[in-house]
Amino acid sequence: MKSTQALAIVLLSLILTWAGQVALGYFQVGKLEPILNEETNLREPPTPSGLAQTGARVFASEGCLECHSLSVRGPIGSADLTRGWGERRSVSRDYLFRESALVGFSRIGPDLSNIGSRIKEPKDLMMHLYNPRNLKPTSTCPPHPWLFEIKLAGPNNETDSLPLPRKDWKQMIPTYQAKALVAYLQSLNLNYSLPEAPLK
Amino acid sequence: MTFPLSSQSKASNAAVVLITSSAIWGLLAAGLQTLSTLQLLLPVLSYLAPLPILNYGHLAPVVSFLLIYGWITSGLLGVLTILVPRFSGIPFRYGRLLTGGAILWQIGVLSGLTGILGEGGTGIPFLPFLRPVTCIFLVSFLVLGTGITRGLGGSWKSGPLLPRLYLLGALISFPLGLGTAELLLRGGTTPGAVQIIGQLVWASVLQHLWLTPLALVLVFQLIPAMTGRATPSLSLGVLAWITTLGLGGWLSNTLASEGPLPSWLQSAGVVATLLLFVAVLGNGILLQPLLDGKMEEIKRNVALRFVSVGAWSYLATYGWLAFLALPGVRQTTVFTMTTNTTQSFLIFLFWGNILSGSVYALLPVARNMGWPSHPALTWHFWFSSIGAIMIVSGYALAGIFQGLALNDSGVPIGTIASYLRPFLVVVFMGQILWWLGQMAFSSLLFSSLLKLFPSTAPMAVFPSENPASTTR
Repeated sequence: MKSTQALAIVLLSLILTWAGQVALGYFQVGKLEPILNEETNLREPPTPSGLAQTGARVFASEGCLECHSLSVRGPIGSADLTRGWGERRSVSRDYLFRESALVGFSRIGPDLSNIGSRIKEPKDLMMHLYNPRNLKPTSTCPPHPWLFEIKLAGPNNETDSLPLPRKDWKQMIPTYQAKALVAYLQSLNLNYSLPEAPLK
Repeated sequence: MTFPLSSQSKASNAAVVLITSSAIWGLLAAGLQTLSTLQLLLPVLSYLAPLPILNYGHLAPVVSFLLIYGWITSGLLGVLTILVPRFSGIPFRYGRLLTGGAILWQIGVLSGLTGILGEGGTGIPFLPFLRPVTCIFLVSFLVLGTGITRGLGGSWKSGPLLPRLYLLGALISFPLGLGTAELLLRGGTTPGAVQIIGQLVWASVLQHLWLTPLALVLVFQLIPAMTGRATPSLSLGVLAWITTLGLGGWLSNTLASEGPLPSWLQSAGVVATLLLFVAVLGNGILLQPLLDGKMEEIKRNVALRFVSVGAWSYLATYGWLAFLALPGVRQTTVFTMTTNTTQSFLIFLFWGNILSGSVYALLPVARNMGWPSHPALTWHFWFSSIGAIMIVSGYALAGIFQGLALNDSGVPIGTIASYLRPFLVVVFMGQILWWLGQMAFSSLLFSSLLKLFPSTAPMAVFPSENPASTTR
């Protein structure tokens, strides 16, 4: 085999690899558009707020994806729907406005595609981030106290302080990262119907 | 052909920088790996020391990054810097530039490490570092890769063809793959659904078109050189090479969740994985006669032992991937620890063993040295091999049980975590053993380079006086 033939084979295989998957994939799912919900007059999937987009980066940097996935599977070959992790499976259109679009690798903890509809109260999510064992004593999720700061409190705690027993006039205030992360988690909600994945 | 001594020693400086750094990164990764697994076993530890840099979410991507970019890539580039001028007969001309490239790679690894530990990873598989680190890697690779590519020229028609073919494929795949992934995944213009496809393609390119071909360069160069036998069928080897390049970039699709990925891509991934396994078996047919009846030599020569175990692990790894691609199995094992099994198979058993054997075989050639103590080489082999087998089997069983339990909605997620503990204990013990093996290797490496002990077991595959002639 000549070196030019070998080089041509290498380049051709790389072009086929990238073009065959990314370019064809682009034509299939890259041009998907949001659906207009005629009842609410809102686009679905909704565009996440700027705070939620910042929270997506915090979610990735804290390594949440090491234990949590962001994709509901099923109904065939998976128990995700019966576990209550969602009312329908995730599809390509759900990731339209996700930057970066992340799916995860492992499920040591539950799938979080619908955590926004499962835990509605931001305070509960904050408490989970600060100390997961406050809400569930057997939780294996690690705490993230560095997302909170201790501040001196006045006669009353600030409105966004964590509902913890007060010690030495101190209160626990979520940082910007914690607020962004909670905004992102609340934005994870697949409770809307799509033509390719209708709600049950 | 005899190379000028000055050009050789400068090029070998680059190899020493790459190989010694690889050993340091390997040791560090092994330590952090045990710490992260310990947190899975004893979640209370994260409550005792709630620091971001010790958090499992930071440690796990750091370990993966250090093993792939620090230990394996740095080490493989180091041994290739020694090997390539010897099989091509063309000496490196700009030794200092190569050394600069090697140091730059280590700066990239250090920047990535501190970035992920401090600020956290990006969450993108195999691209956990920020854009500046990608730029450092690409510039460093431009220098190192150009040096190594130069070794491909001139003598294409003579000498063994298969190592050159795999080297050519790998050297082109890495920069094009990393550059494309960087543009697609961090450019901000790619739609989310397409980013998921891009992530999978990059994962495939890195593993199956960059690191696997690099390891195969060493397999097809060192095993014939060490056993004194020629590869039996060139046409079968070329067919396997074409299949590897053509299909390697499609493999990761089988491991993805079915929802976000178009179904035809998953089917293509399954077909590619099964067909590639046939090609891997083809390579196995080429390797079997090279090692047949050489058991005594394999026992005696630790370098050959590492490389041959690595070569058989290559078959086992792609066999495992083919098993995971089977439709029923794939549905059960998505999002489980079988992903860790695949990574451990590739990193510790396949690429890692090839790297260790190559260092043992090639470093004496570059530095005109021997290894100080033969039993210590054997300890390295046994600790790392038994450790790697325990890691792989622990993760495999954990992954299969996890998958079966996840598919039974009656089993709470907390209970599944407790099911995994016995297997994670096996993994943890395996990681400790592997760490001990790395310690044995590092102490041998540094004591040999510093000439602290008289060498008793030189194991060179090419005589250092005439480096180019023996591979012809």
